[in-house]
Amino acid sequence: MTSVATTRRRQALGRFWTDFRRHRAGAVGLTVLIVAVLLAVTAPLFIDENVTSVVDAPGEEWSGPSLAFPFGTDESGRSILLMVWWGSRTSLLIGFLAALVSIVIGMVVGIAAGHFRGWLSAVLMRITDWFLVLPSLVTALVLAAILGGSTFTIIMAIGITTWPSTARLIRAQTLAVEARPYIERSKALGAGHWHITSRHVLPNVAPLLLASTTLEVASAIVTESTLAFLGVSSNKTSWGTMLRGSYDYGAATQGAWWYILIPGLAILAVVMAFTLVGRALEAVLNPRLRKAS
Amino acid sequence: MRKWVARLVALGVALLVAGQGTTAALAQNPAAGKKIVRVGATQAMDSMNPFLAVRLVSTQIQRWMYGFLTVADSKTLQPSPDLAESWTTSEDGLTWTFKIRQAKWSDGQPITAEDAAWTFNKIMTDEAAKTANGPAVENFESVTASGQELTIKLKAPQASMLENPIPIMPKHVWESVTDMANYDAEKYPTVTSGPYIAIEHKKDQYVKLQANPNYWRGRPKIDELQVIFYANPQAAIASLKTGDIDLIGRLNPPEYEAVQNDPNIVAWNTQGRRAAYLQINHGATTTDDKPVGDGHPALKDPKVRQALHYAIDKDRLVAEVQNGLAQPADGSIVPPMYKEFFWEATGEEKVTYDPAKANQILDDAGYKKGPDGVRTMPDGKRKLEFRFSIHTETPIEDKLAEYLTGFFKEIGITLTTKKLESSKFTEETGVTGLFDIAISGWSVNPDPEEVMATHLCSRRPAPSGEGGGTESFYCDETFEKLYQDQLKELDRPKRIEILKQMQERLYTDAPVIAIYYNNDLEAYRKDRIASITPVPEDKGLLYGGSSYMPFFTVTVKDAAVSGPAGGGGSNTGLIAGIVGAVVVVGLAVLLLSRRRKSAADDRE
Amino acid sequence: MTAPLEAAEPAVQAAGPGDERPARRGTLQYALAKAGGALFSIAMVIVATFFVFRLLPGDPVRNLAQGRNMTPAQLDLERHRLGLDKPLINQFFDFVGNTLRLDLGTSYEYKRPVLDLIGERFGPTLLLAGTGLVIAVSLGIWQGTRAGWRHGGRFDRFSTGTSLVLWSVPTFWLGLLLMMVFGVGVGPIPGVLPFRGIESVDAPDGFAYLLDVASHMVLPCLTLVAVIYAQYLLVMRSSLLEEVSQDYVTVARAKGLRDDEVRRRHAVPNALLPTVTLVFMRIGFVVGGAVTVETIYTWPGLGQLFYEAISVPDFTLMQGTFMLITVAVIIMNTLADVVYRVLDPRVRSA
Repeated sequence: MTSVATTRRRQALGRFWTDFRRHRAGAVGLTVLIVAVLLAVTAPLFIDENVTSVVDAPGEEWSGPSLAFPFGTDESGRSILLMVWWGSRTSLLIGFLAALVSIVIGMVVGIAAGHFRGWLSAVLMRITDWFLVLPSLVTALVLAAILGGSTFTIIMAIGITTWPSTARLIRAQTLAVEARPYIERSKALGAGHWHITSRHVLPNVAPLLLASTTLEVASAIVTESTLAFLGVSSNKTSWGTMLRGSYDYGAATQGAWWYILIPGLAILAVVMAFTLVGRALEAVLNPRLRKAS
Repeated sequence: MRKWVARLVALGVALLVAGQGTTAALAQNPAAGKKIVRVGATQAMDSMNPFLAVRLVSTQIQRWMYGFLTVADSKTLQPSPDLAESWTTSEDGLTWTFKIRQAKWSDGQPITAEDAAWTFNKIMTDEAAKTANGPAVENFESVTASGQELTIKLKAPQASMLENPIPIMPKHVWESVTDMANYDAEKYPTVTSGPYIAIEHKKDQYVKLQANPNYWRGRPKIDELQVIFYANPQAAIASLKTGDIDLIGRLNPPEYEAVQNDPNIVAWNTQGRRAAYLQINHGATTTDDKPVGDGHPALKDPKVRQALHYAIDKDRLVAEVQNGLAQPADGSIVPPMYKEFFWEATGEEKVTYDPAKANQILDDAGYKKGPDGVRTMPDGKRKLEFRFSIHTETPIEDKLAEYLTGFFKEIGITLTTKKLESSKFTEETGVTGLFDIAISGWSVNPDPEEVMATHLCSRRPAPSGEGGGTESFYCDETFEKLYQDQLKELDRPKRIEILKQMQERLYTDAPVIAIYYNNDLEAYRKDRIASITPVPEDKGLLYGGSSYMPFFTVTVKDAAVSGPAGGGGSNTGLIAGIVGAVVVVGLAVLLLSRRRKSAADDRE
Repeated sequence: MTAPLEAAEPAVQAAGPGDERPARRGTLQYALAKAGGALFSIAMVIVATFFVFRLLPGDPVRNLAQGRNMTPAQLDLERHRLGLDKPLINQFFDFVGNTLRLDLGTSYEYKRPVLDLIGERFGPTLLLAGTGLVIAVSLGIWQGTRAGWRHGGRFDRFSTGTSLVLWSVPTFWLGLLLMMVFGVGVGPIPGVLPFRGIESVDAPDGFAYLLDVASHMVLPCLTLVAVIYAQYLLVMRSSLLEEVSQDYVTVARAKGLRDDEVRRRHAVPNALLPTVTLVFMRIGFVVGGAVTVETIYTWPGLGQLFYEAISVPDFTLMQGTFMLITVAVIIMNTLADVVYRVLDPRVRSA
C-alpha cells in the first residue's frame, strides 16, 4: 500500500520536474536561487564576520570599483562585494524563517479551517479575514517598533502579518481534497482527524505550499529591507541595512553609486528569482492556470 | 467629436503657453525681487506655541521671532541686553530687577514689563505651559511688573538667572488663551518682538518669516527668511546642491563631506557646542542611596575608570570615527567653544593615550590577567567583561563601539556591544542602571549650569524608580558643594572658576569620560548668501545657537535677487507646463482612441 | 514591495465573497451582514491595538517622556492624566470609550490631538495615493489586457518582465534612484523635477498653483505607481487568460465578431471583476507604499506622520495613525465585497 503510494508520488514528482523545466524563466530563477543559497551557506568557509568590521576595513573610503574591490567600498572602506556576500546570510535567513513562520501558521489554520466544520472553521476564517485586511507593512512596522529591533522580532513581525493569504489558499485546497471520494472511504474505515489531515490532505497541499513559500520568501526579503529603511532592523549586516547605511552616509550625494546599486540589485536578483520560481511552480501545479497557458 | 479634440489641443497649447507664462510669472511672483534666505531643516516644527515646542528647529525659530530677557553677546557669549535693557540684583541675590526696553510689538503695541510678568506667571501657574520651559521658572518665587520694571523674586540665589531660555510673549494676544495644552498658535501674522514675524506655516513643509519693520534693532537686511523641512536628509543635501535652499545647519560628518568640495558651497566646520562622553556605571544608586541596576563591580574602582581613560586613543577616534570633524577631549563635558567656561587638563592630571600605563594601573590594583588574556577582579571571582550600551541605527556609535572594544582588549578588558532602541536606552542608562558603560552626549548652552546639574545627587532616580534625568548617577560631596557655591556666586570670574573646578572633579573622578567634542558642521551657498556672521563671531555657530544675530545680520547677493525665484524654483513653471501639456495630450489621445472605437461600434 | 504576489492571484478567488457566497440572499441583507462583519473587525482592531501597545517594554509614561527631565511629581501627574494609575480593565474601557468618541489622545511630540494631526494630513495622502492608484489601475488593466490577449507575444513578455522587475524592487530604493536621476540629475540627464513636498515654497496662485502641485506629484506618483501596478497587470492578465478559454469567447468569435470587439465587449468586462476587487483588497498595500514614498519626498501626508511617530517614537500618535489606517482599509474592503456583489453578473443572476 505504502509502496504503491510512494511509487505514484515519485512518478508525480518526475512529471512535475519535466513540467517545471519547460518553464524557462522558472529554471533560470531556480539556478540563481541555488547559486545564491550555496554562496550564503558556504560564505563562512571563505570569509567571516570581520568583513563587516569598520576597524579592520581593508580599503580606502568611498573608493570606486577596482580589481581589489570589484564593487567598490563603503563609507568605512569595507568591501561592498564581501559585505553583500556576508549580508546575504541575514537577508536569506530572515526571508526563509519569516516565510516559514508565515507558512506554518497559514498551513495549520488553513487545514484546520478546511478540515473541521462548524464554529471552529468559522472562527478561524474570521480571524484569517481580519488579518488579511490589516495593512501588512504598517502592522509589521508597529510590531517591530514596539518589540524592538532584532532578527527574531523582524521575522515574527513579517511572519505574523503575511500568513492569512496562505491560510485561505490552503483552506480552499483542503476543501477540494476532502471532497474526493477516497477521503470518504478513509473516514468510513475509521481514520481520525490526524490521519486524514497528515496522510491525505497535507501531501496534496504540499506542492502549493511550496509555491506559496517561494513567493513568501521573496516578499519577506523586500519587507526586511523596507523595514530597515524605515528604521527597524535586525542590527546585522543585511542587504536592507546596507541600503539604509548608504542612505545614512549619503552615498548618493557622494556619488558612490555602487554602494546604492549593488545591494539593491542583489535584492532585485534574488527576489526576482524567487518570484519566477514561485510563478513557475504555480503554473505547473495549478491546473486552472495550466489549462489557460 | 473632432471639435472636442480640437478644443483639447487648444487647451494643451494654452497650457504650454501658460507654463511658459508661469516661468515669467514666477519672476514676478511673491518671491521674485525679494531678498530671501531659505534654510533647510531635517526636522519639522512640533508646535508654533512656544510654551509647548521643544524641537530644536522650533526653539531656533522662536529665537528669530521673540525677544528674550537677554541674548548671548556675539563676541563673548556673555548675557547681554535684549528686551531687558539693564538689570540689578539685591544684596542677597534673591531679587532681580529688569528694566524692559521701550520698544514695540510687531502690531504696534508697546512692550512692557507686564508682558514678561504674564509670560513667567503663566508658566509658573499653568501645568500645560510648563511643557517647554518649566524648569526655568522652578526657582521663581514671584514675578511682578510695574511699567517697564520687572521684578523677579527667587526662592534661592541663582547666578545663571540671566540665561533664562523663555521667550517673552505679548500678553495682549495670548491672555485670551485658556486651554494652553491644546493651543496650536497657528495665527498669522504672529505678533512678535524679534527680527522676524511668522506669516505662514504649512505643516511638515515650511515656515515663512517676514522681516519685522518695527524691530528695535532695525529691520533685518533680508525680506524673508524661510525654513524648509525635509523628511529625507539626502533630499536636503541634494537641494542645497541644486540651490533650492541656501543654508543648512547641523550636518553630520558624511553629509558635510558630501558638500565639502562643491564650488558653490561654503562648508562650515567650526568647534561645536556638543561633547560626546562615556557614561560609566560606577555603582548606580537612587536618591535614597540604595544601589540600583547591575553595573560591573570593577567600575566602582576609580583606578579601573582611570585605566579605561588611559586606554582610549581619542585622536584615533576623532580621525576614524568622526572623520576628523571633531576635537579630542582633553577636558570634561564643556566644549572649548565656550572659551570662558572650558577647562582643560594639564600636567600630571592630563590623561593621554597610554595603554602601557593603563595596564600598569590595573596590574598594581590587583586585576590579574587570566590565561585568556582577560583580567579578573582582585578576588578572582569575576572577569572584567563590560557591556557597552549604544543606540540602534546609529552607524557612528557602532563604529565607536568597535574601536573601544579594540582599545580595551589591549588592556585585558572585554567589551561587548549592547544595542538598545532609544526609549529602552534612556530607561536602562538613566533610571534602572542596567549598564556598564554607555555612550552619551550633551549639547551645552552658553551657561554650563544646566549640564552640570545633570550630575547632581538629586538627579538620580527616586526609590520608586521615577526619573530625575541623571547623566551619570553621580553623587559626590565635593561636586555638590561646588554646585551650590556657583549658584550663589554672582561675581562672574569667581563663578567661572568654581565651574571649572567642577569639570576637573568630573575629569579626575571619571564618572563620565569625555571622548571628543563634535564640530559644528553647516553649509551655505556662496552664490546666494553674501555674508553671515556666526555667534561667537570667532568660529561660531550659524544655525542652532542661542542667538538670533546670524540670521538678523545675514545679507544676500544682489545677483541672486534679480533672478527668478532662485534655483529649482525657476524650473517649476516649465515643468508644470510640461506636466499639464502631457495630461492634456494624454486625454486627447484617449478621446481619439475612444472616438475610433465608437466609430467601429457604429459600423457594426 | 511587500505582500506576497501569489496572494494577488489566488486572492482572486479568495478576494470576493468566495466559496461561501450566499446564493439566494438579497443584496441588502448581504450588505448588512458584511457591515456587521466590518464592525466586528473594527472592534477587534481597537481591542488588539490596546493590548499590543501595552506590550511596550518599560513604563509608558517614561517612554513618552523620552528621557526629558521630569520630576516624579510631573511624571505622576502625567500618569494620572493618561489614566495609567487605574486598573487595566478600567484603562481598557476608557480606551475603548475614548476611541469610540474619536478621541485618539494627544500626540506627545506635537502636543496636539492625534485626530487633528491626522485630519490635516489626510488630504495630501488621498491626493497622492488616489492619483497613484487610479494611474496604476488604469495602466495595469490596459497593459494586462493587451498582454493577456496576445498571450506569449512580445508585448506580453515585455509587460510581464517589467512588472516582475518592478515588483521585486524595494520601494524606497526605487524612490531614491528616481530622486537622484530625475530630481538631482545624473550625467546628461538634468534634474528638473521637484523632489520635496507638495508645492513650492513660493507657490504661485490660481491655475499655476495646480500645475505646481502637479509637478511635485510626478516623482512620488511615479514611484508609487511603479511598485503597485504590477499586481493589477498580472491579475488582469491571468483572469483574461481564463476568460479567453471560456466557451462564450469561442462562440463570440465563431459568430464572426472582430477580435477587439470580442475582447472589449465580452472578455474584458468579465475579467475586470477580480481586478476591481483586488483594487479594494489591496488598499492596505498602497498605504504601505505611501509611507515609504511620502518619507522620501517629504510629502506632508499620513505616511510621513506615521514614519515620524515610529522614529520619535511617539506611541500615542503611532497608535492613532495605525488604528485609523486599519479601519479605513477595513471599510474599503467591505465596500469592495458589496460592490462585487452588485457588479458580478454571476452572483446577481444566481
